[in-house]
Amino acid sequence: MTATMFIAVLGLAAVAFLLSRQRAYRIAGANLSALHSRPAYHGTYSLLWVLVVGWGLLLALSVASSVLIEANLSARIAEALPDAPEIERQLVLSDAVAIAEGALPSKTGDLRAEIAARHTSLQAWRNWAIVILVSAGALLATAATWSQVALGWRARNRAEKIIRLILMSMAGIAILTTIGIVLSLIFETLNFFSNIGWRIDKFLFGTTWSPLSGVHEGKLDPDKVGAVPLFAGTLLITLIAMLVAVPVGLFAAIYLSEFASRNVRSTVKPLLEILAGIPTVVYGFFAAITVAPAIRGAGEAIGLSVASESALAAGVVMGIMIIPFISSLSDDVINAVPQSLRDGSYGLGANKSETIRQVVLPAALPGIVSAVLLGVSRAVGETMIVVMAAGQGANLTANPLEAVTTVTVQIVMLITGDTEATTAAGPAFTLGFTLFCVTLAMNIIALRIVRRYRELYD
Amino acid sequence: MQMSDEIKISARDVNVHYGDTHAIKDVDVDVLDKMVTAFIGPSGCGKSTFLRCINRMNDTIDVARVDGTITLDGEDIYARDVDPVQLRAKVGMVFQKPNPFPKSIYDNVAYGPRIHGMARNKADLDEIVEKSLRRAALWDEAKDRLAQPGTGLSGGQQQRLCIARAVATQPEVLLMDEPCSALDPIATGQIEDLIDELRKNFSVIIVTHSMQQAARVSQKTAFFHLGNLVEYGDTDHIFTNPEDPRTESYITGRIG
Repeated sequence: MTATMFIAVLGLAAVAFLLSRQRAYRIAGANLSALHSRPAYHGTYSLLWVLVVGWGLLLALSVASSVLIEANLSARIAEALPDAPEIERQLVLSDAVAIAEGALPSKTGDLRAEIAARHTSLQAWRNWAIVILVSAGALLATAATWSQVALGWRARNRAEKIIRLILMSMAGIAILTTIGIVLSLIFETLNFFSNIGWRIDKFLFGTTWSPLSGVHEGKLDPDKVGAVPLFAGTLLITLIAMLVAVPVGLFAAIYLSEFASRNVRSTVKPLLEILAGIPTVVYGFFAAITVAPAIRGAGEAIGLSVASESALAAGVVMGIMIIPFISSLSDDVINAVPQSLRDGSYGLGANKSETIRQVVLPAALPGIVSAVLLGVSRAVGETMIVVMAAGQGANLTANPLEAVTTVTVQIVMLITGDTEATTAAGPAFTLGFTLFCVTLAMNIIALRIVRRYRELYD
Repeated sequence: MQMSDEIKISARDVNVHYGDTHAIKDVDVDVLDKMVTAFIGPSGCGKSTFLRCINRMNDTIDVARVDGTITLDGEDIYARDVDPVQLRAKVGMVFQKPNPFPKSIYDNVAYGPRIHGMARNKADLDEIVEKSLRRAALWDEAKDRLAQPGTGLSGGQQQRLCIARAVATQPEVLLMDEPCSALDPIATGQIEDLIDELRKNFSVIIVTHSMQQAARVSQKTAFFHLGNLVEYGDTDHIFTNPEDPRTESYITGRIG
């Protein structure tokens, strides 16, 4: 029903376009330049209005009528079952809707049949109302915009204004979604903090993380929500990852931009970027199944005891994953260093390594730093690899050969575990919010550095 | 006017190809010591390309190929055992657009002396920096802000900084590729005075678009056209009594 009307409005809009354009041609006659706006703009103006009015009415009426129908049915159910709990009334309603739509209800009965019948008749009413109102609105818009077509009518300006408003509202949706997510994070975080009696210090500085073992009557034990082991684990793995990714990525970038011939570069760079296209879940089981046992075997060979899930395995594989970020971004910034600086250095008798070390890298440094920071925020937020290869126990250690856990791993554990969602959500959201703050700060710093760098050479 | 007839740079049968483009055709020229030589000619005539042959800057361009012989003090600079890096320490270069490094003024000038190990200690280096900045007529403006970035100077000051940077390595020859094209007339005048000063110590080759500039600063002028060296001789002679009709057309403004 809604889909049919959606397409019908589209068809009507096309008709409105043709009609208004036609009228514009007729009014202008032979002298087209007498029109303020070209005929296509008159058509576009009509088209936009019909779409906005038609689709807007369709959306508003659909939503409003659904709410009204449900309210009506619920009222009837409440009347019939005054003592039933809310959850049972909802069950009756969903069964009735299932009956009305020919699906399988969980139970049948007189009340359900009655509600189903009522639902069917209300739906029919609603459908007719939508068809009539939407068609009327769209036709009215067609007629109104068609009659406005005149020599001096500024259809182009008005059409462009409508388009601008549409674009603005799309941007608004993106921004509002972000704000909504952040607000829900903040709200749940505050919830969690009030649940542990505002002992924020226990969360930030406590060293025991076992939030679900301390649950008592829906209250969390502030002594068991210390997130320090998670922060330490995240930091350790990020550090290992950057120790792998920064030298390899940076040197690869220097080779590609300064030494490689054009042919080598055009082959190697896409190959490196393939690394960025591998799904992280693949890296994850690569780390868990290949790298971790290999590290363990190598450790045993030289007499070290290595846990089967180790920070080292997860960190190294994560580093490999981040290499293309660092190399690709650094390669771009090194290439953006003006050739004139290299010429200036060569012209003074500097050789290639002096030029790279003393002129090119210092000039590219801000960009390289921001590439590294983006890599770090990637590493901090990475989940799949650490879930599979780093371990689950909150273990406060600086030894990379032991299993550690990270913020992201604990969020996964909390949310996918079988604990009641309301209890698990608090710590998970709070960890998520912490993570969000850290990566946001990192990205802001990186972007600022990049911006300052751009000002220098553009 | 101090003049010497000692040949500093000698080029014979020099041809340069950029890929399929034949940029320089059979150029023969002798550049004299302690003298300013101007290369003039319309855009794309090959004067900058030829200049870049003299310190082998064309080596840094993959598709460029240089044939023929160029000698500096009688030694072939394209010989197998010549290291272009060492050559460029002897043949300094100043570019069309001022290109100070993103370092302090001091570090810009000290760059060459440092990489060539010309200073034994900080005092030596300070002295070289001061001397070079004085030679480039920048000392008075820059002495209080040596630690500030060279990119913060005005365009004319930046170009003088680049000249100071080039003379700091104590080259024997200074190549200048349109050093004033990005500058206003006042800064241009300062640079031209400077070039006249530099002639006492170096052999200077300057590529320029401006015939007035060539006439003002140079003793010898070479006119390039479509990759050929059309005419080479005393500046006074070329501007007053050109032998080739193409030279005459160019300096009277009919081609260019």
